[in-house]
Amino acid sequence: MAAEDLPSEFDVVILGTGLAESVVAAAFSRVGQRVLHVDRRSYYAANWASFTFNGLLTWIQENQEGSHPEEAQDWSSLVEEGEELIRLSNSDSTSISNVQVFTYTSEEDEEEEEAPNTTEEETGGAEGDAVKEASETESADSKEEETEEKQEETAEGGGGGEEEQAPSTEGEEPEADQPAPSAAQSQSEPAKKKKISYTKLVKEGRRFNIDLVSKLMYSRGSLVDLLIKSNVSRYAEFKNVTRILTYRNGQVEQVPCSRADVFASRQLSVVEKRKLMRFLTSCVEETEEQRAYNGRPYLEFLRDQQLGDNLQHFLLHSIAMVTEDTPTEEGLASTRNFLRCLGRYGNTPFLFPVYGLGEIPQCFCRMCAVFGGIYCLRHSVTCLLVDKESNRCKAVIDSRGQRITCSHFVMEDSYVGVDRKKVDTPTRFLSRAVLITDSSVLPSDSDQQVSLVTVPPIAAGRPAVRMVELCSSSMTCMPGTYLVHLTCQSVGSAHEDLSPVVNSMFRTPESPDQETRPSVLWCLYFNMADSSGLEVQGHDLPSNVYVCSGPDAALGHDHAVKQAEFIFQKILPEEDFCPPAPNPEDIIYDGDNPSPTATEGEAEEGEGETKEEKEVQEQEEVQEEQSLHPEE
Amino acid sequence: MAGGSVSECKEYLFKVLVIGELGVGKTSIIKRYVHQLFSQHYRATIGVDFALKVINWDSKTLVRLQLWDIAGQERFGNMTRVYYKEAVGAFVVFDVTRGSTFEAVAKWKHDLDSKVKLANGNPIPSVLLANKCDQKKDISNSTALMDNFCRETGFLGWFETSAKENINVDEAACFLVENILANDKGLPYEESNGDRIKLDQETVAAESKSGCC
Repeated sequence: MAAEDLPSEFDVVILGTGLAESVVAAAFSRVGQRVLHVDRRSYYAANWASFTFNGLLTWIQENQEGSHPEEAQDWSSLVEEGEELIRLSNSDSTSISNVQVFTYTSEEDEEEEEAPNTTEEETGGAEGDAVKEASETESADSKEEETEEKQEETAEGGGGGEEEQAPSTEGEEPEADQPAPSAAQSQSEPAKKKKISYTKLVKEGRRFNIDLVSKLMYSRGSLVDLLIKSNVSRYAEFKNVTRILTYRNGQVEQVPCSRADVFASRQLSVVEKRKLMRFLTSCVEETEEQRAYNGRPYLEFLRDQQLGDNLQHFLLHSIAMVTEDTPTEEGLASTRNFLRCLGRYGNTPFLFPVYGLGEIPQCFCRMCAVFGGIYCLRHSVTCLLVDKESNRCKAVIDSRGQRITCSHFVMEDSYVGVDRKKVDTPTRFLSRAVLITDSSVLPSDSDQQVSLVTVPPIAAGRPAVRMVELCSSSMTCMPGTYLVHLTCQSVGSAHEDLSPVVNSMFRTPESPDQETRPSVLWCLYFNMADSSGLEVQGHDLPSNVYVCSGPDAALGHDHAVKQAEFIFQKILPEEDFCPPAPNPEDIIYDGDNPSPTATEGEAEEGEGETKEEKEVQEQEEVQEEQSLHPEE
Repeated sequence: MAGGSVSECKEYLFKVLVIGELGVGKTSIIKRYVHQLFSQHYRATIGVDFALKVINWDSKTLVRLQLWDIAGQERFGNMTRVYYKEAVGAFVVFDVTRGSTFEAVAKWKHDLDSKVKLANGNPIPSVLLANKCDQKKDISNSTALMDNFCRETGFLGWFETSAKENINVDEAACFLVENILANDKGLPYEESNGDRIKLDQETVAAESKSGCC
């Protein structure tokens, strides 16, 4: 906890804790490289992060206010002869835009049964503000006896600024393009059944783990393989995605994808069942017939199989998850990938991490730390020091003005100054929406389903939307609610792209007549830059500097994993990428005799040294131990 | 983290965190407790996540205690959520010979309480360890002060320990486990975690070759 200086020499310095950077960090640390891993943010995982509800409110606030880049300091005194200084970008303002929040549930329950518990709301410094605002909201409206008590608590916890805050946290951000939809006012809807109030969402905020990106893990995808191979999987647990759903003709339907599903399906006729089974069996192997369709749309291929509209829809939108003009070979490859991943863990090809996707980068960070990597959040690298002659980055200057020597430098793309980025394609964006709802889009016997919902374009020129509905046992939302993530490649702003889908599939103040649909209690729209087109190298940067891109639009994680492996192999081509870490239960400690001269105090001081013979020995022992149990 | 019951013998798996400043002897305490070893030579903890101690608590109760060390290098206090999640108890350790490590205790405790809670929203039970007591004899004067400090900061209690001389390490662990068990009995399980999936080599090996569809 102490603010002490960092060691001044590392093998690899990594800036940003997104997925690719975190995998790189774990991979280097695992093979004995000295890793410094920092992030300017106060949280792990960058744009891959997940937040509690209150944490998300703080994130929203930060992104609506825009960032306040620190003043560039003059570090020229740290530049040595023959060195050149490259400044990194220190603002994150470009990656998140069009943040809009709507609260559709009432501020408070009609009968709030218990007074707010301050210890419950005791959160870290960053979250304090959001909680404070919420408390203010409470006291503004409450006519109950607790009012005074609450205000006291507010004054105690908040400290200043109470008057200038509007009594609700939602509303348009000033720089949003669209005018505020009139229905976006709070308390606009007379509750028919008792809905969970906004106050309750805030109070139970810690039960939410809301991801900024929405992806799933293919059960045989590169991320699952890597988690297993490296033993990083020990830090997480997963849930099966239990259903694949699709939205069609105004209805949510279940897509039969496994053999069991096909037989159990009530929507399919016997003929359709037979046709689907035959198709799925036949497409596993590439045939002459399929090759004849290369370059022509997959839709055409499907049509010619005489499958009928139902099956064609399922196969195109929900199984291959491609668009109508995707070429046949791509559609088939994607269908095969889907089928290959079926049945490994469950009835769908997908897994979802308990506590959300934000866990995954942190799992790799933990592995890195366990093998000696040093972690600092709220800490950045402001400049690179480049040797003019070799065009290599020799050292970096951190945000405290410390010069840190390194052999390689890896960073998230948002730290690369615009002037140095080589961008071939215009930046693409993802449109994202996050909804908290009160029931499932397709109620079933179990209320604990994790569903992937594919929503084909609702009109020509509109994007296909991918939706993931999470239940409370995924530990991403409070009991009694569902967390719904919508994602698409941006055509317009997130609100423009996604609100039509939200209004047609859910009940909101803009679609009040959708009485049978789940009600939206709260929702957030934002756009995130999709930098996945960016190359790892080739920018106007030194040759030993590598750039990781942020989240991409794909459902899986292949892009980030490939990028991490590429960087690792570029730097250490001889080394194994993420070999299995030893099982803690297999490690045997040597009971070496204490040296008679050393006292405990002296020995303990040694903990501060990062690289010592003994340490290397320990690690070798660990690796030896591991090699004895390769199968465990 | 709590395990289910098997007919007569109840088995529990508890994750316990061991936190505190650099060099206070966290690793030494764990190694003493789990492996009955003490070495002068531990360096920053490399390659070790947690140590497992299996306790035959009584004839009907088996406790598997996972003691999670902070990776030596997470010393700037930025532990991942992976470290904290689903922990049911904690030791906060300081070094009686270095006052600054005691001053940091409140910070560690606050950090702990903000990052992990029991299912019912209460803080997880935690015990304060005044380690290296073999090197300083006069701490007994401050018993009342320490008791008071524990009440104020929300510790269940405190122990003077020495990993080197094997003083009070077992006692402290026993005290914490008692409290964890008491919590566990008093609380209904929030939900069954039975359908959670662990990804590991065994699953892969045991995987049937039966294809899909």
